[in-house]
Amino acid sequence: MSSVIWYLYEFARKSFFEGVTDAKSKHDIVEKPDRFRDFPEVLKEYCIACGACTQSCPSPHAIKLVRDGDNDDGEGQTYPVINTRACIRCGFCAEVCPTEPKTLLCGENHLIREEFNIIPSKRQYTVDDFLCIKCKKCIKSCPVDGAIIERDNKIAVDQSKCISCGNCLEACPVKGAMKGVFIDNLEDQKAIIRLVVNTLEEFIESKEDELQSLPSEKLLKLQLPLSKIWDKALQILPDEEVALEVIENATDRLKIRIITWDESKCEKCRLCVDECPTGAITYSPDENKVERDSDKCLRCSNCYQTCPFSVVKYFIAKFLLDEVDGEKVILITLKESQLANR
Amino acid sequence: MILPIGPIHPGLKEPLRLKLHTQGEKVLKAEIDYGYVHRGIEKIMEGKTWQKCIYLAERVCGICSYEHTQTFAETIEKISDVRAPVRAQLLRVITNELDRIQSHFLANSTYFKAIEHETLFMYVLSLREHAMDAIELLTGNRVNMGWNVVGGVRMDAKNIHLDAILEKISLIEKDLDRYTEIFSEGPLVGLRSKDVGKMTREEALKGRAVGPIGRASGLKHDLREQHHTYRDYLDFDPIWRKEGDNYARTMNRFDEVAQSIDLIRQAIDVLPDGDIRTKVDIGSGYAEWRNEAPRGEVAYMIETNGNLIKHISIRTPSIMNIDSCAKFMLKDVATVSDAVATYASADPCIACAERVAIIDVDKGETSKDIYNLK
Ligand code: SF4
Ligand code: SF4
Repeated sequence: MSSVIWYLYEFARKSFFEGVTDAKSKHDIVEKPDRFRDFPEVLKEYCIACGACTQSCPSPHAIKLVRDGDNDDGEGQTYPVINTRACIRCGFCAEVCPTEPKTLLCGENHLIREEFNIIPSKRQYTVDDFLCIKCKKCIKSCPVDGAIIERDNKIAVDQSKCISCGNCLEACPVKGAMKGVFIDNLEDQKAIIRLVVNTLEEFIESKEDELQSLPSEKLLKLQLPLSKIWDKALQILPDEEVALEVIENATDRLKIRIITWDESKCEKCRLCVDECPTGAITYSPDENKVERDSDKCLRCSNCYQTCPFSVVKYFIAKFLLDEVDGEKVILITLKESQLANR
Repeated sequence: MILPIGPIHPGLKEPLRLKLHTQGEKVLKAEIDYGYVHRGIEKIMEGKTWQKCIYLAERVCGICSYEHTQTFAETIEKISDVRAPVRAQLLRVITNELDRIQSHFLANSTYFKAIEHETLFMYVLSLREHAMDAIELLTGNRVNMGWNVVGGVRMDAKNIHLDAILEKISLIEKDLDRYTEIFSEGPLVGLRSKDVGKMTREEALKGRAVGPIGRASGLKHDLREQHHTYRDYLDFDPIWRKEGDNYARTMNRFDEVAQSIDLIRQAIDVLPDGDIRTKVDIGSGYAEWRNEAPRGEVAYMIETNGNLIKHISIRTPSIMNIDSCAKFMLKDVATVSDAVATYASADPCIACAERVAIIDVDKGETSKDIYNLK
């Protein structure tokens, strides 16, 4: 019985009648609170294209950096684009965005915190399949169970388990088989490599006379102090450890082909003009001269193999970063190729 | 006869197949099939940084998402041997209890729907809206709050937020007693609920039932008792009942809502000023942590290398509750509709439960039945 009275009481209350007569949504339901986290709002103009937002986003394909407005004057603006169908509205991208004011707004924005390092670790260890001799010394030296595994007759590093201790790099007996790659400044590293290659090539080309007079089957040894590159490299990437390793790796693997051109021996047979795949060699009838444009040259050595009068000489330069008298120098060894004599 | 209900059925919140073995109208026993919403979140998390994983952890469960982030954060904090500042700990309590309020209201309203009491269903759901509003005001979103980080919480609560929360919970409190009484005093409601789907204490122990479901069967076990924040700053005593039927489970949840309101008030009272977040040097190692989610015990087992999550396994409460529901509550139930109501009273949450499978390596068999292990 008591419950019947309860039911009746329920309907007899004033607020019940009010609700029936005024069946409208109240305002507070449709207004969003200040902290409401909607999809991130993008203010293009502040973006510095650091990529922290794309690195941090937990949802695949939710955020992407695009660049538009490229023209002759330069690159256009890079800015993030949010894919609302993938975005989970966590607001993490807005939190890590380092610009001031923020490029991304999502709910209540926060300051970037030091603990939000987005790149997992400075170095990533990978095995070069080509060089690896499968001695498995790295597996023995690794302190983490299962971080280096043998799969399909290949040794591989499981990045999710690796703790970046570097033991494997020390244990590896083959130079270059185990690589510790610095992963967070790849563009700068490329710039340093370009700098090294260009400087070395310029240096060797300035020594063309010595090359010309080099008897075949003799080696020409040159030295370039590292200090010539070092300051510029540090301007590009102000981290000595990374810069040195990048230069060392670059010089170790670098092989530069040098083509020399001895005008005086040329008999204007013009055989090389047709051979050159890039059109770098031209013949001008007015001056009766065959010319090579070294900017277009691919160093393919076709002209060297064609020329019957040894106008063209072809050298191969190898490099080694070493210490001489307490100073770091790049040792250069040049050797004439024996291709045409065979 | 075997009567299948689901996987897609208006009576169920989430996809799951309920197979009722019936004799006439009487339900003799029941079987449950999972596997319709398995998403492999643990596997997705492996090899990601914790900053990303905490947002993924939130998405394990669609209703009580909050507790997952807190447990995740506290596990990593345990590995790194730090504690969040006191203010952050108490803010976590506030959000946690708000989340519990809304989850319990949702569970109860689903139960009322299952016993066809639509008035109470709507009433309770509209009451839940206050809790949702409070959560949204404080954290920015209603369900996936993104509120916890390792070392604290993301945003500070200002006085206006605390006042708004107090106002919202007093709104809830105003109607809560009335609705509880409608339920507890109603003779028809009582007829549908009392002595239906009974699970004794022994059965609950055997089925490892947790949370309000276990507590309604006389297991006085609430992990909040052991949690450092509750132990050090708040006055807390678990609520439990002996009957173990649908009525007890629903009432237990109503009572816990009242208790949560009280806990929020206590937390706001003792809330000190100070930092809400500390910098954590994430250690490497393995740790386990357990917390009381609205549905019971959530356990996280995490192994990390200091930056990336190497391995993670999550244990959610619903898997035990649903299984004990199938084994012990759904036997000898008088009618099919009572069986559905009993199922709803166990507060099943399928999405988060889809993570257990027993694989017999020798036979190459997979089974989801954890009780018939040989
Ligand atoms: S809000 Fe979260 S999910 Fe959306 S783009 Fe930003 S980081 Fe990605
Ligand atoms: S984090 Fe900010 S500045 Fe960096 S790319 Fe994204 S939007 Fe641009």
